[in-house]
Amino acid sequence: MAGSAAVLEDSSLLSRLDRTLLPLEKFCALLSGLAIFSLMFLAVYSVTGRKFFASPMMGYVDYIEAAMPIIAIMGVSYVQRDGTHIRMDMLVSVLKGRVLWLFELISVLLILLLIVALTWGAWEHFDRSFDCARPLCSRDSSIDVGIPIWPSKLVVPFAFAILSARLILQAVGYGRALVLGLENPVAVPLTLTVAEQAEIEAKSLMGED
Amino acid sequence: AATEWNVSVWGKRRAFTEHVEKLAELVSEKTNGEFTMNVSYGGLSKNRENLDGISIGAFEMAQFCAGYHRDKNRVITVLELPFLGVENLEQEVAVSKAVYAHPAATEEMAQWNAKLLMTSPMPQYNLVGTGEARKTLSDFEGMRVRATGGIGNAFAAVGAVPTSVTATEAYQAMEGGVVDTVAFAQHAHLSFGTINQATWWTANLNPGTVNCPVVVNIDAYESLSDEHREALDSSVQESLDHYLANYAELLGRWDSVLAEKNVEKVEIADDVIAEFRAKAADPIRDEWIKDMEAQGLPGQELYDLVVKALADAKM
Amino acid sequence: MEPIEIGLWVSGGMLVFVLLGMRVAFAAGLAGFVGLVWLRWNGFDYDPDRFWKAVEISVKVAGLTPHSKVSAQVLSLIPVFILIGYLAYHAKLTVALFEAAKRWIAWVPGGLAVATVFATAGFAAVSGASVATAAVFARIAIPEMLKVGYNKAFAAGVVAAGGTLASLIPPSAILVIYAIIVEQDVGKLLLAGFIPGVFSAFVYAILIIGLALGFKNIGPPVGGFTWRERFESLPPALPIVAVVVIIIFFVYNPFGDAWGTATEGGAIGAFIIFCMALYRGMRWAKLKEALLETAKLTVMIFTIIWGVLIYVRFLGFAKLPVAFSDWITGLEMAPLTILICILLAYAVLGMFMDAIGMLLLTLPVVYPAVMALNGGELVSAADSAFGMSGPMCAIWFGILVVKMAEFCLITPPIGLNCFVVAGVRDDLTVQDVFRGVTPFFIADGITIALLVAFPGIVLWLPSLAS
Ligand code: NA
Ligand code: NA
Repeated sequence: MAGSAAVLEDSSLLSRLDRTLLPLEKFCALLSGLAIFSLMFLAVYSVTGRKFFASPMMGYVDYIEAAMPIIAIMGVSYVQRDGTHIRMDMLVSVLKGRVLWLFELISVLLILLLIVALTWGAWEHFDRSFDCARPLCSRDSSIDVGIPIWPSKLVVPFAFAILSARLILQAVGYGRALVLGLENPVAVPLTLTVAEQAEIEAKSLMGED
Repeated sequence: AATEWNVSVWGKRRAFTEHVEKLAELVSEKTNGEFTMNVSYGGLSKNRENLDGISIGAFEMAQFCAGYHRDKNRVITVLELPFLGVENLEQEVAVSKAVYAHPAATEEMAQWNAKLLMTSPMPQYNLVGTGEARKTLSDFEGMRVRATGGIGNAFAAVGAVPTSVTATEAYQAMEGGVVDTVAFAQHAHLSFGTINQATWWTANLNPGTVNCPVVVNIDAYESLSDEHREALDSSVQESLDHYLANYAELLGRWDSVLAEKNVEKVEIADDVIAEFRAKAADPIRDEWIKDMEAQGLPGQELYDLVVKALADAKM
Repeated sequence: MEPIEIGLWVSGGMLVFVLLGMRVAFAAGLAGFVGLVWLRWNGFDYDPDRFWKAVEISVKVAGLTPHSKVSAQVLSLIPVFILIGYLAYHAKLTVALFEAAKRWIAWVPGGLAVATVFATAGFAAVSGASVATAAVFARIAIPEMLKVGYNKAFAAGVVAAGGTLASLIPPSAILVIYAIIVEQDVGKLLLAGFIPGVFSAFVYAILIIGLALGFKNIGPPVGGFTWRERFESLPPALPIVAVVVIIIFFVYNPFGDAWGTATEGGAIGAFIIFCMALYRGMRWAKLKEALLETAKLTVMIFTIIWGVLIYVRFLGFAKLPVAFSDWITGLEMAPLTILICILLAYAVLGMFMDAIGMLLLTLPVVYPAVMALNGGELVSAADSAFGMSGPMCAIWFGILVVKMAEFCLITPPIGLNCFVVAGVRDDLTVQDVFRGVTPFFIADGITIALLVAFPGIVLWLPSLAS
């Protein structure tokens, strides 16, 4: 569910790194939002052109497809930062202390393993479409207007690299909490009960946060 | 030892995939079931990523169309140039074969770890449309047409707007007025349902076609035992023959389909076609050759090869 | 080892990780990735020298999936629908709707509750998400009901149940997601949701009126509005009607050719609501907030989509969906019995899982089986088990599972809508809301039974469009 959980802050290096990464993540998420907003105008423009001026927009589908990775993936780290990616927290919501941190640490490390692999794989996908010996460095082009696809493919490893950095910070945060037996560690989204989460969700909708 | 290949195609089983199915059948037969092919319709990859899948080694065989991603396969787009004058599927097979054997084509495909095995010959992409039949070039102005590759360029040259919704979306795009006309081969008009939306079909516009090769992963091909490789190689022609026979049957039924669906068969006047050809064929071809030569590819040579192979095939 | 065995082990492992609390999107992606490596290495007969080759291939296959899968025009519908919902809030359409519903229909027994149901149904027409709808109306409708002496728990139950309508009545993010997984026409699915959504609203309303006649503390009718007051309440709610009409006409125009695609209809709807929000005083700060919220929800949904599709890619190589549908069609049971069992399984699963995650994880395997049960993708109505063609069966099943998933939003223990309503109201506990929503289980049970027994309720509108 959308709605941010609490991420505590203090003056430690970890927390400072967390707050350094946050503006970048937020900027990426805003890019996603702006891309969605542009999508709306693009469709209005295209329909108006088609219906009223008999001049449909050339390459409409190509541009939308090129924008989709920005919309869908750019903000992935921002969402991970505050724990918005959904999960079933029946079990974790009853865990406390070190056991909870251990679970969270394992979970984050596994996600890190996946994302590092995907960053590599997504980079390879970009790399296959990129060759600067060619016009516009393009080795893969869109179907209608032939625009290069590599910029859109590059979005993915870029976003995943930021997510990897975020996951490393969270792993350190949970690891530290596990070792020191902390109750309220910084730089990680704190587990909320479903009810607490719902309350935050409702408040965020009412624009009160 | 047993060999199992994964083959990535898309859509559903149709005339366009019959040679792949036949190939799988023949290879298995010839090797007593030791070499099998598992043909997957979209389960292994998206169609536009099939060449990537081959390059990675995700599967061993795949089908794709040149127009989906011109920059991935510049050389074979010569076969998608408008108004090449190909008249039937046999000629289409012949010109494809000639181009596929050209070093520039094999080399470009080798960059994707792919070896061109055979083409998926398709008849000329004629239009189906809604509303009034479009019979002159001025009718094409502002027409929203679903057409890819060189055919799309040809229509653009006379003022139409190519809009490449995917084949599966073509029906809805037509229904929703996103496109007024769809350029497909006959089997696709049938299997994607565009014929059900249509009120007319151009019988003789013949602007060109798309080229959709079947490729194999080079490593997988080379690691086949001699016996299995022989079984594969020797089945290609037979599979193509099966494809042609099957398609001929479909074309034989085409007129009755038109009658049944109450679709008008539009004959475009010769002078209109000549005008279209003059506006689209020559400039697009010249542009293509210039573009290829600028990139260090033998554009002129490839085009001449097509012309020659076609002339030979017509003899 | 057989690929299918690997498929089963990996799927089981994934479910364990999901239950242990791993983020659903990543659990699925990881399962898919590990499964691809395992399958490939299995193909190499576990040759240690070729392990890294297996990893490399799998990394590349998994790594191209996110870009490949999200780069589809039809998926742009999801962010547009989410945007509509957030803009509608800033356009203050919720208050306007509730006010109009109150003035027009609150005179019936249980009046305010009935008005709430119809206002949520109306808001559903601009909102793609159930939980958001419940949260918004908990603020607006519950105080008014309490003022005229409603039972607190019942008032909360009405809002929690009314919220579920948002996912059936178009626009609906979850129906779009269903359409994409099963590769069916989005427009037809959205059309198909319309009547069952409105139908559900009427079943709720009838239930409320019945309860109000039987029990005194349900709430009295609220009358006394003049016709003038009634008509005055309409204009502020009018954009909703415009948006509904536009989206429907883009997908299906009863008087001629449809106007375009569902995506375009959604975008025009969003644009209208955006203008309305501007008029009602939204400026850059609020817009930025709405865009960030839209982006967050969008990214969250897309992460599940590409994560699950990595898993689905693996399933394709493991041939599990084919095996499952062979097994289902081989069962010695009537197809309808099997279908009902599948729906009941969803009801159980839905008690513990989020609707989108649940559908994405299960449909790649379950959907082909249901289609096979009916006689295949291409079957004609005459030859089919359920008396409908392949594409129609896809639509019908989609509406059934989405209604099922919505039902799970109000069932204990994880009925999210109930938590949201309790979260908004300090004076209500989750137990209160669950108590208040209980009568609506019956209503939903009846609705689902009717949708199964009379598929025409679902299929009439989409069949007109084809
Ligand atoms: Na809705
Ligand atoms: Na539930």
